[in-house]
Order: sequence, then structure tokens, then C-alpha cells
Amino acid sequence: MKRRVIWVSLVLVSLVLAAGFAGSVHGATPLTIGFLYVGPKNDYGYNQAAYQGSLAVEKAFPNAKVLQAENVPETSEAERVMERMIDDGASIIFPTSFGHLDPALNVAERHPDVIFLHQGGLKTAENLGTYFGTIYETQYAVGQAAGMATKKNKLGYVVAFPIAQTLLNINAFELGAQSVNPKAKTIVVFTGSWCDPAKQAEAANSLVDQGADVLTQHQDCTKTIVQTAERRHVLSAGYHVDASKFAPKGWLTGSVWNWGPLFVKMVKTVEAGKFHGSPYSHRYRAGVKEGVIQLAPFGAAATPAIRKKVTATYNGLKSGKIKPFTGPVKDQSGKVEIPAGKTPTATELEDTDYLVQGVTGKIPG
Amino acid sequence: MIATGHRGGVSLRHVAGLHRLHALTLPLVLLAGFVVISRVFDVSLDDTLIRATPFVFTGLAVAVPARAGLVNIGGEGQFVAGMVFAAGGALALDDKLPAIVLLPLLGFLGAFGGFVWAGIAAVLKVTVSLNEALSTLLLNFVAPLLLGYLVFGPWKDPANYSNLPQTAEFEDSARLPVYGLTQLHLGIPLALVAALVVWVMLAFTRWGFRARVLGGNPEAARRSGIAVRRTLFIALVAGGVLAGLGGMIELTGIEGRLRPGIGVGFGYIGFLASWLVGHRPLEILPAALLLASISIAGDSLQIDHNLPSTSVYILMALVVLAVLGLRGGTRRAEG
Amino acid sequence: MFVEDVLIGAVRSGTAVLFAAEGEVISERSGVINLGTEGCMLTGALAAFATASWSGSPWVGVAAAAGVGVLMGALHAFFVVTRRANQLATGLAITFLALGVTAALGSDYVAVEVNPLNPVPIPLLSDLPFVGPVLFNHDVLTYCGLALGPLLWVLLNYTRWGLVLRATGESGAVAFAYGHSPSRVRYLAVMAGGALAAVGGAQLVLAYTLNWVENVTVGRGFVAVALVIFAAWNPLKATAGAFVYGGAVSLQLQLQARGVDISPFLLNMTPYILTLAILVAATRGRAQRAPDEIRAVFGTAGA
Repeated sequence: MKRRVIWVSLVLVSLVLAAGFAGSVHGATPLTIGFLYVGPKNDYGYNQAAYQGSLAVEKAFPNAKVLQAENVPETSEAERVMERMIDDGASIIFPTSFGHLDPALNVAERHPDVIFLHQGGLKTAENLGTYFGTIYETQYAVGQAAGMATKKNKLGYVVAFPIAQTLLNINAFELGAQSVNPKAKTIVVFTGSWCDPAKQAEAANSLVDQGADVLTQHQDCTKTIVQTAERRHVLSAGYHVDASKFAPKGWLTGSVWNWGPLFVKMVKTVEAGKFHGSPYSHRYRAGVKEGVIQLAPFGAAATPAIRKKVTATYNGLKSGKIKPFTGPVKDQSGKVEIPAGKTPTATELEDTDYLVQGVTGKIPG
Repeated sequence: MIATGHRGGVSLRHVAGLHRLHALTLPLVLLAGFVVISRVFDVSLDDTLIRATPFVFTGLAVAVPARAGLVNIGGEGQFVAGMVFAAGGALALDDKLPAIVLLPLLGFLGAFGGFVWAGIAAVLKVTVSLNEALSTLLLNFVAPLLLGYLVFGPWKDPANYSNLPQTAEFEDSARLPVYGLTQLHLGIPLALVAALVVWVMLAFTRWGFRARVLGGNPEAARRSGIAVRRTLFIALVAGGVLAGLGGMIELTGIEGRLRPGIGVGFGYIGFLASWLVGHRPLEILPAALLLASISIAGDSLQIDHNLPSTSVYILMALVVLAVLGLRGGTRRAEG
Repeated sequence: MFVEDVLIGAVRSGTAVLFAAEGEVISERSGVINLGTEGCMLTGALAAFATASWSGSPWVGVAAAAGVGVLMGALHAFFVVTRRANQLATGLAITFLALGVTAALGSDYVAVEVNPLNPVPIPLLSDLPFVGPVLFNHDVLTYCGLALGPLLWVLLNYTRWGLVLRATGESGAVAFAYGHSPSRVRYLAVMAGGALAAVGGAQLVLAYTLNWVENVTVGRGFVAVALVIFAAWNPLKATAGAFVYGGAVSLQLQLQARGVDISPFLLNMTPYILTLAILVAATRGRAQRAPDEIRAVFGTAGA
């Protein structure tokens, strides 16, 4: 018996020693850029859009090393992942989920020489800038498409959390729908999760049960809702990426990101040493004008009339002539949130904490 | 029921010689595993210690009730309950009390949260004999929902005007002290202390003796006049207290604010840790180190090898299954 | 109509859990509790989704799921019956294993499209007011699920197989004395349970979510295990329990869609609290009604 113990221990010791020599060897590190996603990178949604941006960076910088981390939760786990990337030589980090901001700020404090470009955040630091797109602009146009296409005047919106970006999307969508169809109403359902297909399926089904004949969403993974809409023979408007192949009959249009060119520009700026003082070191907000947001291709359900109207609106958004949030805008209780004639800036809009009139559903909590 | 120890003849265990393992072999194997994993996946000791700390607490949370014959799968929910109670205290008092007073208070609150969460199951067990494995399992689902309700609603950070579900960040008075510039916090040595305390409690106190008798032979325990219900109740809530304390430590040591998603899976991993070592409190320490190193290896798997980080569960499960299968059941009627 | 909508939702979201619960009834009746049910559902879901996408047919996917479920069940049975390891720890470990394996193997399938199991309204019956849409306007697998409860009930109580199964659960020694190998019965029971749970997973992804993501079942397997106890190991009550769970899930979304101001979190708690409450209310004396072998698993230390 004792012999067995000695034998086992010897094996273990040699394993340990062998492992000791198996440590990684770090050579000279090339330009290393890290991307963090809160979900899977092929979710046909938010994370995929960011991932596509990262591919553009890979293409533009063929000698750079691009690190990818998916399914990174919005807790201190994210800090660990970022620290790991920095260990691997990352000098630029893109935390792409909203909830990665606080972890990123903590890591940024510890590593002043690493530049962080956070997607969607509202706080910045010396070496951390945030960027986002005013995607509610195109959601306004999408709302118009929905308003024109709906026969029952009921539109469904599946969302996750009542963060300002989501509320702006819902509001813009409804305002857009109202602008072409004053009777259109939007029903909002909060699932409490960025991507839980079972909840999405149930939410989509309940909305259709309620009579909604156009569905849209603010979720990270968009496939389930689009497919459920198609099965229940209602129309869908997409978000984040073009998912029209899942709704060959019912696809209208949607809002999609085009991060690639922006990411490449930002990396170039950092590499040129021009980060501090550039717009990217603050709260950078781009819109249709800068090409960061586009309309998804039109689908089978988009009639010529819809296409004409939406394209015209898109051009108006691009030129700056059309601004979705022009007062007077009332919230659900009738209170005037944006006075007549006033047009808030993107920064001011990010304080939104209400839903506009015409939206059914309560901000939870 | 025919309870057989061996099935006669040669079994796998005989061949491996493991049926007469020296008591130290398992902890040594676990430690060796931890070292190997850390080297191969480039896992830092700091990170491992930090991640092992909650595993120790959730492991102890399973071990104490288990010695009395109870199955506490609820470490997951009790951990969250501890976090929630501690967070409440922190939010209310972090600008009013100094750390030296506040931190022990928060510790008490965390323990109390775990006490309450396990207490629900314990009460049901001793009154209507509701099986604690199920009640604690169901409560695991309820705790994060309670957390969600609070961080979306009454406790949402008012300064965080983007409606993100999280509380305000705690003041320094509600944060555990750290060592130098690292993230190594006071909770790490506390985990060691906890394991020692539990060991002493089980091995050397009268209550511990009673609990062990109950766990080993309930009939004999009943006949010898041991207050069965009281012992069981205490055992289960002690588990809750430990898990709740672990939650408070993770909250004040690492996170610094309450948000959804903290500690997901920690309770279950603690369950596995305790089972790995047959619920022996001191051996939970190396088990926690091993499982922690595997857990963190997930980052390397992700970034350097393009595998999803949950793949680490595969390794964890294989380790546990290996030990479960090799050790087999010479125990009493557990299936 | 509100009640009708909730009930339709109940059947929609409860079916996956129903399959897993019925499978677990079989397993527990033989004396083995399988916390690996969650793992079986997950592997079944991935197997079904992947196979359906290669083959183009969802039914091939369902068959694949059943096959995989049998294997997962056999794994659990090996540890628990042959190696006599602790049932709860083994089941949990297997679930973790399944979580990791499906995450690793499934990452390629997140963006894939499959031919789903579409609803097939039963002619005439689906036109009945109220009952029609609630019961007769679902996919074929759901219809199988609806029939499963009564079928199992008959099998358990009126056939020899059922008798042998129940006897094994009550006392392996007795079954043995009458010429049946309790080990063999348990292996088969757990494998059958695993297969059914896997089919539940298949239904979840092929008929309901139409998508695979990591951990798509989110704890439904555990709920199934709890439901079995809630149902006192009775397959008919298990059916009811699964729909109570499904109803609670659906209720909170239906209420939201109607603008009712209740926190979705509090509503989401209802399935679990309800299960607990019913367990408590009905559990007095239930401990005595458990198959003896199951009682042994939980340790009879106690009141």
C-alpha cells in the first residue's frame, strides 16, 4: 500500500514538473486588440454586429492579433477577461456590452497605458472613451414602415431592460408609426434577459395573441422572434443585423449597425497616438450621417409605398433634416417631456426614462 | 433492501488500489491537479485564490448539513440571499459608519440572509418533513429573482441614469481591505478560518458529535435521545449561514455593488467540491483551489483556444465523476 | 381572451417540462432520482437541433434526441446503480458535464436555421370554443406529450411492467425475490427517463424557440424533478404540474402585454413558489408515500 502511495506521488510530481516546462513563451507582441461580447458572436444580433466590426479591424490590420471573448458576463468576470487580454499584450480593448462599463473602468484605472473603447457607456475616463450610434433614428423610419404595414394598428416590441437606449428605440418607433398612422399603438414586453430564446418565444407569441401584427425587438439575439413572427404569419422588423432570410414573407426592414469603418478609424487614431483629444476619448455618438447606422434591406412585406416613404425618411435623417425627437413629445401620463419646437441633443436624450404616449406597457421596477 | 458494499470478486476499485487510499492522497491529488491546471492554462495564483474563496464557503455550506444527513443544494440561493442582505446594509449605512464597524455588521447581515434562506427549507423540513434537497433547489431559482426585483426597482442606482440594473457602488467603508495593490482581499484568509472553525465544530464539539451520529445512523440517534429536529435545523441553517457569508465576502471583496449575475454557479460548484472530498471541511480547501483553477482556465480557453468558457464544466464534471465512480458506495443507503 | 391565452401559453411552455417530468416519474418510481435530467434535456436539445439541421427533418432530430437521452440515462445509471455513487451528486455532475459539452459542440449551431415542428391543428376539435385552441392547436410532439400522462398512468397501474417498476422502487429485495433484477429495471427506467427528458429538450428547440443557444433550457430540468415530487410520483398530476409551471411563465408575459403593472420578477417567482406551496400543503404524510428507495436517497434522518 505504501508503495502505491509513493508511486502515485511520483507520477504526480513528474506531471507537475512537466507542466512547469509547458509554460507559454512570450515573444515580441504585435499590435493586439481585444473584443469582449456579452453573448455569442453569431447571435444574429448585437454581438454579431460588433463581431463583424472586429473582422473589419482584422482585415485592415493584417499583422495585428485580434483576441475575441464571447459570453462574458457583465460582472467582475469581465475584469478578469480584460486583465487576461492585457497579459496577452492587448493595448486596445473593445468591451462591447453596456454592462461591461464598470468593470472596464476598474481595469482602465489599473492600466493607464491601455486604451478602452466601450460601446454604449455614459461614463468616460482618461483612457476610456465610449461610442454609440443613435440607432433610434432608423428605428423611427422602421416605425413608419410598421405603421404603414399594420392592419390591426397594434405593434409588438420585445425588449430586455428599460435602459435609456431601449426606451429611445421604443419611443422613436412609436413616434414613427404615429407619424404615418395616428392610430398605431405599440405594446412593450420586457423579458429581463438580453437573450433567452424560450422567453423570447413566449413573449412573441403573447404579443401576437394580443393582436400585434408587426413585431420588432431590442434583444441581443434576434433570430427567435423573427422566426416566431414568420410562423404566426405576422410581419417583422429587424434590429442589429439583417435577419431577413428567416422571414421570407414577413420581413419589412430593420435597423442595422455598420461598425467596421468606425472601429478601423478608432484603431488608426489610437495607433497614431492621437487618442487623447480626439472625439473618441469622450462620449462619441454617431448616427445615420456618419454611416454607422443603416437600414436593413427591404423584404417581401415592404410595399413600394413603404419603401418610398422609408427611403425618403432615411435620406432626411442622413442630411439632418429629420429629427425623430422634435417636441412636443408627451409621455404615457400625458406630461410633456419635450416641449414644442425643442430638439434635444443625443446626450440629453440619453437621460430618457419614460415611454411616449401610444405605448402600452410599464417600465418595470 | 439488500445493501452490499462490494459486489464480490474484483472491482475497479480493487485494481486501482484506491479502496484503501491513504487519507492524504486525495487532497494531494487535488493540489497536484490545481498546480497542473494552473501551469498549463497560465492561471495566476491571485485569480485562483480569489475564485476559490466563495467555493470554500459554498462547499462548507453543503458539508455541514451533509454530516447530519441533509442534502443542501441551496448554496446557490443562500449565497445570493447573503449578498442581498449585505448589500442592503451597505447601501443604507456605507456613508454613516466606518469600516471597522460596518464590515462586521455586513458580515452578520450576509450570514443572516443565508440563515433566512436556508431557514425556510429547514422549517419546512422539521414541520412537514418536506425534503430539503427539493426545497433548497427551488429556492435557488427564487433568490436571483428577488435580486433582480431589487436592483431594477427600489435599489437601482439613481445616479446611473441609464437604468442599468445595478446598485450604486459602495463606499470604501463597505469594501473589504485588500493587500497592497492587488485584489487579494480579507475574505481569502477568512475562508481558511471558516474551514478550520467548521472542522473544529464538527470534530470536537458536542453538537458536532450529535450531528455526525445523526448523519451516520438516524435510528440510533433518535433512540439515544438526541434532539433530532433541533440538530437538523441547526445543521441546515448553519449551511445557509456559511453560504450567505460567502456571498457577503464576494460582494464586498470583489464586486463592490450588487448586480445580477454575480456568483452564478458558485453554489453548485461548492456542492461538487464538498462531494469530491466526502464533506470533510479541511479537504474542501484543496478541492476549491482545483475547481477554481479549472473555472478560471475558461478565460484562457476562450481567448487563446476559441472554446466557450463553459467548457470548463466538462473538466469539473469529469473530475467529480471520476472520484464518485472510483470511490463508489460503501456508505449506507444512498442509492 | 385572457384565461384562454394564458392556458394556451401554459401548454406551449409547459410541454418541454412535461416530457422531462414524466421521464423522471419513471426513473423515480424505480428508485433513482436523476438530477441529470437538466443535462439530458440540454443534450437532447442540441442533438435534435443539430440533426434536424443536417437532415432537414425535425423528426429525425427528435429520434436523435431520444437516442442521446438513452445514453445519458445509461451514464447516470452506471454511476448510481453499478457504482452505487450518491445519486444527487452524480446527477448534478452530469448536468455540468452536459452544459459544458453542449456549449462547446453547440457554438456552431447558434445561427443555424431548421425546419421546425409546426402546429398541426386537429380538424373539428380545434374549432371547439376555448378547448380547441388550448389543446388542439399545437405541434404533434405536444399532442404526444398530452397523451403521455394518461398512457404512463395506465402502464404503471395496469400492466405487469408497471408492477415490476413499482415493486423495484418499493423494495429491490422483493423484486429480486420474484425473479427480476432490480439493477436491470433501474437501468431501463433511468434510460427511459433520460430519453423522455431529451425529447422534451427537442420539443423546446424544434417547436418552441426554433433556436439553440448555450444553456437554452435554463433550469427546466430541475423544475421537472421538483414537479415529480409535487405530483406524488403520479403521471397525471405531473402533467397538471407542468402546465401550472407553464402557465406561470406565460402569465407574467401576458400580464405585461396588457399593461398590468406588476414587477416581472415577482411574477417570475410564481412557478417556484407555487410548486413549493403545493409541495408543502400536500406533503404531510407524503414522505410515507414515496417509493422506499427514494426515501433512502434523501436520507431518512429527520422528523
